[in-house]
Amino acid sequence: MAISAATKAATDALAVNRAPVSVGAQEVHRWMQSFTWDFEKNRTKYSTKYKMANDTKEQFKLIAKEYARMESVKDERQFGSLQDVLTRVDAANRVHPKWNESMKVISNFLEVGEYNAIAGTGMLWDSATAPEQKNGYLGQVLDEIRHTNQCGYVNYYFAKQGQDAAGHNDARRTRAIGPLWKGMKRVFSDGFISGDAVECSINLQLVGEACFTNPLIVAVTEWACANGDEMTPTVFLSIETDELRHMANGYQTVVSIANDAAASKYLNTDLNNAFWTQQKYFTPVLGMMFEYGSHFKVEPWVKTWNRWVYEDWGGIWIGRLGKYGVQSPASLRDAKKDAYWAHHDLFLLAYALWPTGFFRLSLPTAQEAEWYEANYPGWYDMYGKVYDEWRARGCEDPNSGFLPLQWFIENNHPIYIDRVSQVPFCPSYCKGASTLRVLEFNGKKHSFSDQWGERMWLSEPERYECQNIFEQYEGRELSEVIAEGHGLRSDGKTLISQPHTNKDGKLWTLDDIKKINCVFSDPLKAL
Amino acid sequence: MSTNSNAYGSGIMAKTGKAFADEYFSEENQTVHESNEVVLVLKKSDEINSVVHEILLGDRKADNPTLIVEDRAGYWWLKATGKIEIDCTEVSELLGKHYSVYDLLVDVSSTIGRAYTLGETFTITSELMGLDVKLQDLQTA
Repeated sequence: MAISAATKAATDALAVNRAPVSVGAQEVHRWMQSFTWDFEKNRTKYSTKYKMANDTKEQFKLIAKEYARMESVKDERQFGSLQDVLTRVDAANRVHPKWNESMKVISNFLEVGEYNAIAGTGMLWDSATAPEQKNGYLGQVLDEIRHTNQCGYVNYYFAKQGQDAAGHNDARRTRAIGPLWKGMKRVFSDGFISGDAVECSINLQLVGEACFTNPLIVAVTEWACANGDEMTPTVFLSIETDELRHMANGYQTVVSIANDAAASKYLNTDLNNAFWTQQKYFTPVLGMMFEYGSHFKVEPWVKTWNRWVYEDWGGIWIGRLGKYGVQSPASLRDAKKDAYWAHHDLFLLAYALWPTGFFRLSLPTAQEAEWYEANYPGWYDMYGKVYDEWRARGCEDPNSGFLPLQWFIENNHPIYIDRVSQVPFCPSYCKGASTLRVLEFNGKKHSFSDQWGERMWLSEPERYECQNIFEQYEGRELSEVIAEGHGLRSDGKTLISQPHTNKDGKLWTLDDIKKINCVFSDPLKAL
Repeated sequence: MSTNSNAYGSGIMAKTGKAFADEYFSEENQTVHESNEVVLVLKKSDEINSVVHEILLGDRKADNPTLIVEDRAGYWWLKATGKIEIDCTEVSELLGKHYSVYDLLVDVSSTIGRAYTLGETFTITSELMGLDVKLQDLQTA
């Protein structure tokens, strides 16, 4: 009987590549890689200007069986700890209230990043031609699904077992009004899944994962432990056990294009754009969450950044690639300035805009102010004295009629949103690397906080058309916008966000906001 | 405090306030500097604690005098010059049960450097695997 061409091809391949007698994982891995496919007609959502080599390796030699066994052990340990001992010792109620609020942001936002990384690595699977490289990307797709569930579970656990559930549950409903959401979508979504596939890999794997997951997912666990949170280390350190393969995937993406002529033309620009894109958001937001969202401090954020971002990622990843033409990111000087000051700038604005958030913030105590001044000389004169003034005006008390946003208006310090990163900034009152730049395109004004984002915008302005909250809600009264944007707790009148974490403190309601009559205006209209 | 340059709080990290800021913002520190170090983050667990205490800081300590291990609450932070290697056949003997390189990967939380497996050995190296050095497949008889 005649056999089909496919059966004949398989039979011929097996004759050459005998199946291993043993079932050793790496022996099976080697055998499987000798079978390949024709990827010439590969189709992917976004193509790449680089040519990826078809002999790229995967560093961990994983096969599905070992992968599944490994991941199931991780899950058994993680869920076992959470559902047994951590519940028994009432761990979620031992967390410091300030840190409880930080985890509303960290885990909800990371969940979005993990979800988008599923699509990003799926696109890379489509783009690569080397079987081992595809194998690495495929493992990552599965990891990202696991991580999405894990992050969701962290907020579910905190909401169910812990204190002040509002914000842990259903944070996403506030995404239209929360000023941190859109910037988060820029780094965690757009940067991972839109544009040249290799550029997405550089954003996601080489910068996002190899660089910023170390502070975001590893160092965060130290802050969590110090502030009584044992859930986050249990889950996040388990997430990070997959990230090392993702970092290797990013490195192998670079290996696969290293000999392509396009790399010498484009790689440094793509790397700098990715570095600036990721740092522009992560640097201030993580610094703010760690320092201002904790009671017990581990170390100054700038030291954490210096260690994981500058010395280790910069020196060990990027520095070692120097002989292949990879250069120190041109934006590093500004990034370092941001790492020292931008999280202080951002907290000032975040506190001023607190009613639009989904988590509670609290002003630094006198003890914390001393810590800030000791570690960031000049902190008090810039920030500390402002907080003293806000506190004296009763910013925490719903009866005060004072929102810190009024201070910016009274002192003529307009707040803008950077069009590319969507991060808010106040150019007349900041110490980070932000200066105001305004450009007009298609009859619309756009504000930028730095030359790096401005350059990216100039090369593809149609990519950055997202409306910011000042444009979207111009002329609208704040309490109306909060109600419309689902910023209320289940009683339908109390705000999710609050300007303090004092459990005995009075909570602000929609009526308290309404009587202040705060109306949104677009600062670009005044220029 | 350790005087090893790989220690968590060594160099600029030992400085505070203005002294830290002066070095951090100095002109020479505005570009990255190539580093021959590697960093490994191991999630604490029953097996990993044994690997750290009995092998890396025990039987194998003399193999790598540059290795620093620091307790960072939920994880062990390791830094060394050149490379760190863990042979899981040795771990199996220590634990008295089969412990493959994939069992080790259950608790390897982060790597800075090029990490790879070959047989039952896990390696993280500063070498540029796939560029300067070829990544090997398992060779069988």
